[in-house]
Amino acid sequence: MEDIKKYATDIRREIIEMAYRSGGPHVGSALSCADILATLYFSALRLEQWEERDIFILSKSHAAMALYATLTVKKIMSPQLLEKYSQDNGSLPAHLDVMTGQGIECSGGSLGHGFNIGLGMAFGFKSQASNRRVFALIGDGESQEGSIWEGALFAPRQGLDNFTAIMDYNNLQGYGRPDDLCNFEPVADKWRAFGWHVCETDGHDCHSILAALNENSGGKPKMVIARTVKGKGVSFMENRLIWHYYIVTEEHRAIALKELNVE
Amino acid sequence: MLINNEILDSDSESINMRNAFIDTVMSACRTREDIFILTGDAGLGVFDRFKDEYPDRFRNMGVAEQNTISFAAGLAMTGYKVFIYNIIPFVLYRCYEQVRNDICYQELPVTLVGIGSGITYAPQGMTHYSIEDIGLVQTLPNLVAISPVDPVEARVAAHYALASNKPVYVRLAKRGEPAYHSDETFDIAVPQVIKAGGGAAIVFHGSISQEVMAAYEVLKDRGSAPLVISVPTVQPLDTVSLLGMLSNVAHVVCVEEHFTNCGLGNMIVRLKAEQSAIWRLTLLGIAPHFIHKIRNCEGLRADYGISAASIVDAVESVPA
Repeated sequence: MEDIKKYATDIRREIIEMAYRSGGPHVGSALSCADILATLYFSALRLEQWEERDIFILSKSHAAMALYATLTVKKIMSPQLLEKYSQDNGSLPAHLDVMTGQGIECSGGSLGHGFNIGLGMAFGFKSQASNRRVFALIGDGESQEGSIWEGALFAPRQGLDNFTAIMDYNNLQGYGRPDDLCNFEPVADKWRAFGWHVCETDGHDCHSILAALNENSGGKPKMVIARTVKGKGVSFMENRLIWHYYIVTEEHRAIALKELNVE
Repeated sequence: MLINNEILDSDSESINMRNAFIDTVMSACRTREDIFILTGDAGLGVFDRFKDEYPDRFRNMGVAEQNTISFAAGLAMTGYKVFIYNIIPFVLYRCYEQVRNDICYQELPVTLVGIGSGITYAPQGMTHYSIEDIGLVQTLPNLVAISPVDPVEARVAAHYALASNKPVYVRLAKRGEPAYHSDETFDIAVPQVIKAGGGAAIVFHGSISQEVMAAYEVLKDRGSAPLVISVPTVQPLDTVSLLGMLSNVAHVVCVEEHFTNCGLGNMIVRLKAEQSAIWRLTLLGIAPHFIHKIRNCEGLRADYGISAASIVDAVESVPA
């Protein structure tokens, strides 16, 4: 478990570097899910036999830096690709394109797509009597998409217990807090009412995340509601709305890397 | 609730484009285990036999078009050849972004089977007409779009879709369309000469075929049989073949049950401009606007100048 925390820090360092080099937004969104991705890729996902691997879909694709960093730390994706993330004549786009790098399972960028694609994949694997599983990470803002609730209604009836959704509930979407914009809470009860097995966890505690991911769902699809802090790991970014869009300057980068203790 | 699909679909004819297409796909399931059919709570009776024989390869996804398209993309990513059946607004309009991002962008072998092309659902109302879908198709790279004119082209389109690894969209009617092809040994990607003739050429696609053929018979009786060309595959348009077929005509009349500003007509306008074609061009179609008239299909065709009589007039017209 200590290793997972170390990998999560490596992932955060790469996120800060990518955000700095590219001058692009969404650093807060990426930092928010670093522990979840570290737990998935360094413990929960079965990746040893690549052709039979578990699938992870980053449905909140604006956090692409987190996935690129994770795939690189996991040595699935070439580190050279990170150097030209989101730049002119670059290597990796700011939102996922399945044709750009090893380990990217699904294109994305518009919210409320990857979750439903994941349901289709989970159904396909089940139909083929395969044990492969599908995990999809959605945002709390993304949870307002109608397509999410279409899928939420549909999946339990199909018995998709090989599908796990994880909500990165950092309680800060682009321009506000979910519950200020809509009747978001009680969100766990909503998913339970739709027929899902719901686990709630601290989204930065790898033990707790792993326990939720491993919990028996009793034949239901699973929703792991992971309470997170946007910008986690960098004090001046934590729980601040501006870091959905703010650009990482040289000064920001220096302080952030110092805090992440990787200088 | 916009629609009761079941009522609309209960008037099915035994031989029509829809049944020709679907029967071909269902027959293929006997030898192929990778075919999966999704519907959106539509198609009463159409899939009963299939559901009984292959319950594991059919799902009614309910009234949830966005989930249906993304789900289909996911199924395709696990190796299935997926067909999605619904009326056209629900495979292309409501879920346009899912078609764009999940299927076309990712180049997945999903076929959208859209029913009710043009104004075949009249007088159900504008929400049920599909007279701008080819305009949308033109904004979707990688998507092959087929608009058959008869059950034979629909069957050949089904064989194409079954063999293709590309995203495919097929727009179909189901009003009992007669067959105009005598055999199935043609390439659906290529425009087809339906009737030989000269002087003028009628170029058309989709559900307007009966009006076109009626116009042809009138013109033939008057001693001026035009060349009649169907264009089943509107995207990608085989411009080389089409230009070759039109090389000896003086006048091209494009007829479609579609808006004139974003259908086959506007593709031919562009083709004529780019190739400096010398033939005169007349576009017959529906001027882009929302239809509030409550008329049946034949009535609307007469109103919009795409009836057999209007086609005859257009072919016989002289340049101003």
